[in-house]
Formats: sequence, C-alpha cells, structure tokens
Amino acid sequence: MNHLAHITHLEKEIDTFSMGPIDLAIEPGTITALIGNNGSGKSTFLKMIMNLAKPDKGNIKVMNKWVNGEDESWKQHVAYLPQKPIGFAPYNGKTLKKLISGLYPNWDNALFKRLVDDFEIPLGKKYDRLSPGVQQKLNLALTIPRNVPLMILDEPTNFMDIPSKNLLLDVLVEWMENGERALLFASHQSEDIQKLADYLMILKDGVQIGTFEKEDLLERFQTYWLDHMPGEPDSIPGTVSFADGKLLSDNPELTEKILKERNIPWHSQTTLKLEEIITILMK
Amino acid sequence: MKLPIRLSKDSREPIYHQIEKQLKALIAGGNLEAQTPLPSIRVLSKDLEVSVITTRRAYQNLEQQGFIQTLQGKGTFVAEISTSDKQQVKIQEVHDTIRQAVEAAQRYDYSLAEIEEIFQKVIAEAKEAGN
Repeated sequence: MNHLAHITHLEKEIDTFSMGPIDLAIEPGTITALIGNNGSGKSTFLKMIMNLAKPDKGNIKVMNKWVNGEDESWKQHVAYLPQKPIGFAPYNGKTLKKLISGLYPNWDNALFKRLVDDFEIPLGKKYDRLSPGVQQKLNLALTIPRNVPLMILDEPTNFMDIPSKNLLLDVLVEWMENGERALLFASHQSEDIQKLADYLMILKDGVQIGTFEKEDLLERFQTYWLDHMPGEPDSIPGTVSFADGKLLSDNPELTEKILKERNIPWHSQTTLKLEEIITILMK
Repeated sequence: MKLPIRLSKDSREPIYHQIEKQLKALIAGGNLEAQTPLPSIRVLSKDLEVSVITTRRAYQNLEQQGFIQTLQGKGTFVAEISTSDKQQVKIQEVHDTIRQAVEAAQRYDYSLAEIEEIFQKVIAEAKEAGN
C-alpha cells in the first residue's frame, strides 16, 4: 500500500506527560479525524509528523521520506495548518499569499481567489487586525490552494461562523474529489467529524485508544431496551452499563445471543451517537 | 444532486445495505432514470454522514448488479436496466415490507393465523377505499 504518511511506534515524553506508542497509516482517498481530550497531545502529534517536534522513539515517513532526514523535499507535498500560524501577524493577506504561494509549485491561484471571495477576506488588512474567525479563513485560504496530496489541519473550523463552516466542509469534500489526496484533521466538532471523517483516531491523555472506521464504531455499541430486569445484568457479556431498563453493550452480537438464550426480550434497540461513543472511549 | 436517501442508524441492517436498497428502489421506481449522474462517493458520504468505505461498498454492489455504472473520469451514472430487473426489485421490496410487518406482529405474540386475519382485514379496507 502506498501511504501518504506512515507513523510507527511513536513515543514522546514531555515533562511528566508521556505519549504513545502511536501508529497511523494514511492512505490516499481517506479523511482521518484526530480526536482527543484537551491536552491529549493532538497538536504535538501533528507537529511530530511535520518534524516540528522530535519524538523520542518511532518512525515517521511522509511521501515515503523520513521526516527527520536530510531530504526535506516532502514538505512541498504537505499543507499543514497549525492552530496558530507563527509569523503572520505583521503582514497582510496579499503579502502572505505572495510568500506562501512561492513555496508551492502547484499553487492553485483560482481556488485561492474563490476562497477569498467566498469567505470575504480583506487581503489588504494586517493579519493581527483581523478577528479570529477571519484570521482562520485567511489561514485556510493560504493552506488549501497549495494543491498537494496531503493536508493536515489542526482544528480547522475554530472560530468560524456556521455558513463559513459549511462552506469549508464543501471545499474540503471537493478537494478530496480526485481520490488521490488525504486529509488528517484534529477536531472537537462532532458535526465536522460526522460529515467528513472516514476514520477516527482517538487519543486520550497521550494514549492511542484506537483508529476506527466510522460505521464500525457506530455499530460497535447498541442499547437494548429490556422488557424486564435480568437477574444479574453484569453477568451478560458485553454489558458496559445498565440503568433504567436499558442495557448498553459493546458486543451486540454476543449480548443478543445471551439475551435470547436467557429469554430476556427487548422492545427496542438503538445506536449511540458518535459523541456518546467518543465520551465512553475517553472515560 | 441530493438523493432522497434516509438511513436508519438504529436498524440492524448494515448502512451500506440500506444505501444499496434505497438506491435500487429509486432506480426501479423510475425516480432516477437511466444516465442520471449520481453524486460522487465522497459527496454522498458527506450528505449521508458515512465513511467513503461504506458508500463505496454500496456503489460497488450496485455496479456488480448492473444498476449503476462508473465511467472513468466522468463519474457514476444510473444504468439502463431491464423491465424484469425493475420488477424484481419491486417484488423484493414489497415482500420485505410485508415480512417486516409479520415479524413486528410476532414480536407482539400474534399467531400466524391471527396475522393472516389482520392481513385480510387490511386488504378488505383497501378494496373499500379503492371503490
């Protein structure tokens, strides 16, 4: 498999905080959402991919090149947007565009213009005079048109109003259209995750809980609304919790088999919302 | 184009299968005519809030069964399908719907004889309403 990024056994310690081991493979045509509690190490992880933070252990390859190697040509093929871009403050959008577009040979100027129009970004205004929402729109307009195979966005919809957020989701979907590109984004917005992600990589306090395909994750949990209380709900395999006649299972197949065997009927069965599942996994 | 597909996330039926079935019904029912362009896998995935893995699986199955076709570089389109294939989908859907009704009745502990009685009643009502 030809991975756009391949991360293996990544580990890092920062003071008392330890991260990893983290493994992730990014294939063309996929969108991966990076999800984690505050301080779980999401941004640090993205920085390590960009060689802006050094791991203690493990390997990172981007476009088949070691990111800590001599050859830094891979950087031209990745569009990375950190939460707070450094060094933008004294410049206006026009200047920033000139600086950044020069670094990327395939810069898509038509797309840049369209984003500036659609997001109504004032290019003549100094970056630090813009509101956080407009700053973020400009950040994105300076990132997406780099026209590269791999895009890494750290909380892309931060500060954005609802119409711009919807516009951004459409732009990202369109950007993915050719099927050869991949997007990795960190987010706390369940709606963005729900609409964009194929895979969810979940971090909790630096520990990788797992990387899941979205529907796999949704199908993994089922709530059974039981007609009557079973004797010992805890003895039913797969039980995550039991309250108010509702049994939550993380192994529906097995739970159903046992419920049937013990003659415990249920009148309804529901899935959890993605947010609820993420909350359980991060407990 | 937005497709009128509604997924039931609580259903035991896998999501890819729901997409597949509803698209088939739209095609067989004539709502989507032959040559109609379909949304790309990525766009449909966003609209339905599912992964491209799920949508691709549905499209692949539909393509294998001849309901849709993908033209390299042009996109995915509704295929020309025979009247008998359309008929088959309708028969299957009606059959499934009635079977689900029977299963629902059985969950309420109705016997098959009782269900048959209800069925006759519903048919009689429909006849009356039709005249």
